[in-house]
Amino acid sequence: MTAPAIETDPGQAFSRYLDCLAEADEYAAIEVARGLLDAGVPAERVLLDLVAPAQAEVGERWARNEWSVAQEHAATHISERVVAAIAGRANPRPTRGRVVVACMDGEWHALPPRLVAEVLRLRGWQVTFLGASVPVAHLVSYLHRHDAHAVALACALPMRLPHAHRMIEACRRSDVPVVVGGRGFGEDGRWARRLGVAWAPDAPTAADLVADERALRRVPPAELSHLADDEYGGLLKRRGELIDSALADLRDRVPGMSSYTGAQLDSTVSDLGYIVDFLAAALYVDDASLFTEFVRWLVEILTSRGVPAGAVGMTLSHYRRALHDFPRAGRFLVAGEALVTEVSHAGR
Amino acid sequence: MTAADVRGWDPGDGRISTPSAARAPAWAADAPTRPASGLPPLAPDRGHAEPDWSEVVEHFREGLIVCDADGVVRHLSAVAARLLPEVTPDVPLVTAGIRELTTPDAPAEFTHRGRRLRVRRVPLSAGRSCRYVEDVTESVTRSDALLTERARSAFLAVVGEKLGNPLHPDRAAAAVVRLAVPTLAEVSVLVLAPRAGRARWWRAARSEDETPIVDSGVLAATDLPAAIEEGLAGAEPHAVDWLVEQAVDAGWLPGLPAHETSARVVPLPGHDAPTGVLLVARRATRFYDEADIDLVRAFAARAGAALTTAVLYRDQAEVADTLQASLLPVEPAEATGVQWGTAYRPAQAGLRIGGDFYGSHRLADGGSVFFLGDVSGKGVEAAVFTGQLRQCLQALHRVESHPVRLLRLLNDALLETTQAHGQGRFATMVLGVVRPHRDGSLTLTMAGGGHLPPLVLRAGGEVEPVGLSGMLVGVVPDPRIGEVTVRLAPGETCLLYSDGVTEARGGRRGDELFGPERLVTALAGCHRMPAPALAERVEQVTCDWLGHGDHDDIAVLALRATGTGARNSRHLHAVPRPPEQREHQE
Repeated sequence: MTAPAIETDPGQAFSRYLDCLAEADEYAAIEVARGLLDAGVPAERVLLDLVAPAQAEVGERWARNEWSVAQEHAATHISERVVAAIAGRANPRPTRGRVVVACMDGEWHALPPRLVAEVLRLRGWQVTFLGASVPVAHLVSYLHRHDAHAVALACALPMRLPHAHRMIEACRRSDVPVVVGGRGFGEDGRWARRLGVAWAPDAPTAADLVADERALRRVPPAELSHLADDEYGGLLKRRGELIDSALADLRDRVPGMSSYTGAQLDSTVSDLGYIVDFLAAALYVDDASLFTEFVRWLVEILTSRGVPAGAVGMTLSHYRRALHDFPRAGRFLVAGEALVTEVSHAGR
Repeated sequence: MTAADVRGWDPGDGRISTPSAARAPAWAADAPTRPASGLPPLAPDRGHAEPDWSEVVEHFREGLIVCDADGVVRHLSAVAARLLPEVTPDVPLVTAGIRELTTPDAPAEFTHRGRRLRVRRVPLSAGRSCRYVEDVTESVTRSDALLTERARSAFLAVVGEKLGNPLHPDRAAAAVVRLAVPTLAEVSVLVLAPRAGRARWWRAARSEDETPIVDSGVLAATDLPAAIEEGLAGAEPHAVDWLVEQAVDAGWLPGLPAHETSARVVPLPGHDAPTGVLLVARRATRFYDEADIDLVRAFAARAGAALTTAVLYRDQAEVADTLQASLLPVEPAEATGVQWGTAYRPAQAGLRIGGDFYGSHRLADGGSVFFLGDVSGKGVEAAVFTGQLRQCLQALHRVESHPVRLLRLLNDALLETTQAHGQGRFATMVLGVVRPHRDGSLTLTMAGGGHLPPLVLRAGGEVEPVGLSGMLVGVVPDPRIGEVTVRLAPGETCLLYSDGVTEARGGRRGDELFGPERLVTALAGCHRMPAPALAERVEQVTCDWLGHGDHDDIAVLALRATGTGARNSRHLHAVPRPPEQREHQE
């Protein structure tokens, strides 16, 4: 390890930092961040211009199947240590109220909300970071015991939106305003609007919103009247049966499945489950694009791992046939199938 | 008046007893042509069954004023004369001086001599006109009262919903003042009963948009306005004038000048004395009448209950918190050459404690005792038992550092305690001692007390189960305890976990066990992960398997040999991609 060259631009340090993540070298990664701080770069910029984009790149490398889950986890762990080191160096004295930052129940992408937590801390808030996958009961009991000015909730997967909504409502019942963030609410936060909750695209915006309590309380109400058709609840009830029948359908059509290992079978079953869960989430916010965006992503992920797009198409049409009495779900599935056809033609 | 004048005209609202068009021809021809005061005689050729229409008209609930083309009153029914005594027959209607009767676009309803009157003006033939005057005082009063009552119930329902959940006391106070605006007040101030000579207050003020501005502060109890003190003593001050002055003096009513303001103070009922008082103020144009005060009182009752509950909840939560803190697993103490990783997820999330436990204690010789286990039962009782167990170990490791002998001591101690208290509790656990070597490797000597055997992640990527068996701890006096020694080369990891991991139920139907095979698969390719990341990964795959289903307590403890030197992570290289493995976390 050579002494790091003094760099003053997080953009320039970026590639060296990524190398450190690839090498799983925690100490070198911390030194890159420290170098920037020593050169006078504000802590907030190091977090947002170095750590955050690096984490996005880590996710993309995983999606392209260049990195394994283990590598991704190791890199994330190192970035967490770097964030802790930066936070420890800055160590601002809290001058404002308490803000609770947490990941939705079932949500494990803790680094983005951790960055938001540190940005809030740097801006003088007394921040409590509850971590990954916080159960609703835990969050609520925390809010009962500590006077929180606001809660910031993160959700990376749109699949969790129905749970996110429950969690948001629980916070509201404790009379604590909520701001949400993360890709789970859509690139433009449109599903946050649907759920009637304030949304921030990035950490600085979240910090500005938290500082304006009246803006947090002034959000238009949720628009969920479409749930009256009960397709969401009906789909959840049939989840297990749908996955079973889809698996049987795949076994009939894909001869290679008979030689699948237990792990491969588990992974197929969980994919079949994700399709149902994303469909359910799309029904919950009544937006076909939630489902088609997922299908596009799933096809990309599977293709990069050698599974043909057609397999997804087969399952979508199986679900469509099984859900013939679910008109909204049917429309979303048709849109998904059209996308698979388009992608697999483009791929040829 | 002729029947032809009104024939075929019916507003259709069902309130007006206009003769029906169908019957009109039967009597139209012979109806009296000249209405006059008094009842005209019946036409001689009519059968006695035919009613006298003038007489009938006189008994309408509506009064009638018929004017000729020049606006001179030609007929005034008795009802009209009573409702509008200013109107006299045979003089122009204008002379009565009632604007609403003569101005064409005047509102159809107006208040006259304390009665609410509704007027319809209907043109008749030959330029004549008729005004139908109805007294609607009672129905208007009734529907006004109904609307007001509905608004009140709706308001109290919202208040009940918002304050019905247990809140943090400060949140509850802020919610109380915010909810009072704008329905009850333009400015509302809540003053809590003073504690230790200081009274905290919250205030909400109406703003241009519909979200009130809330702020808060503290006053010395001696500086409280007299009216507030009176309220805190349980009285409801009635001398309203000086109340406003006091509130203005206290600086609580920005933008409301004293002489134009109406204010009231209502105590918030508590268990014994009031928990606080609510001051409501608004412009004097809307002074507080008795009905308003009733609403404020109803609001104050709900607010008082919410605040009392909040304080009670907080006090109990403080006690629970203190107790919980002593029962939560303590993160392992830093040890040379060891990187610890932990994960802990109790079954009852709101409780945050459970029957799984882990921990470590440093030994004088540079090694550490470490343990992970699970006690019988769930919830608080189980957590209390883990606390006893951890305290036992904390004391016992000072006299005995050999794992098997330490576990035996622990077994005897537990047996004695459970026999004394008749609890019949027992535990399963792995208890080990880790000692670092010069080359950066670690030696782990572990004793098994009926717990799931640990897994070792080798540098080559293999996941090896450690052969370790033994009997439950705290059941029999001389249990069989397994012993095993494992050497971890730098970068290798030993993983201890509770049955909450392998017995997690999930999968397609939510009833399939996660099982040890899936755990081993999930660990494949993870042998170079830092220990905290590895522990979190085990927690994550378990929770993903569970979906959102119920689960047992989950605990994970990972020990990784970090190697020698400060740069002990340098050996970490890019983790090789595991063959044929596909995962599904974004």
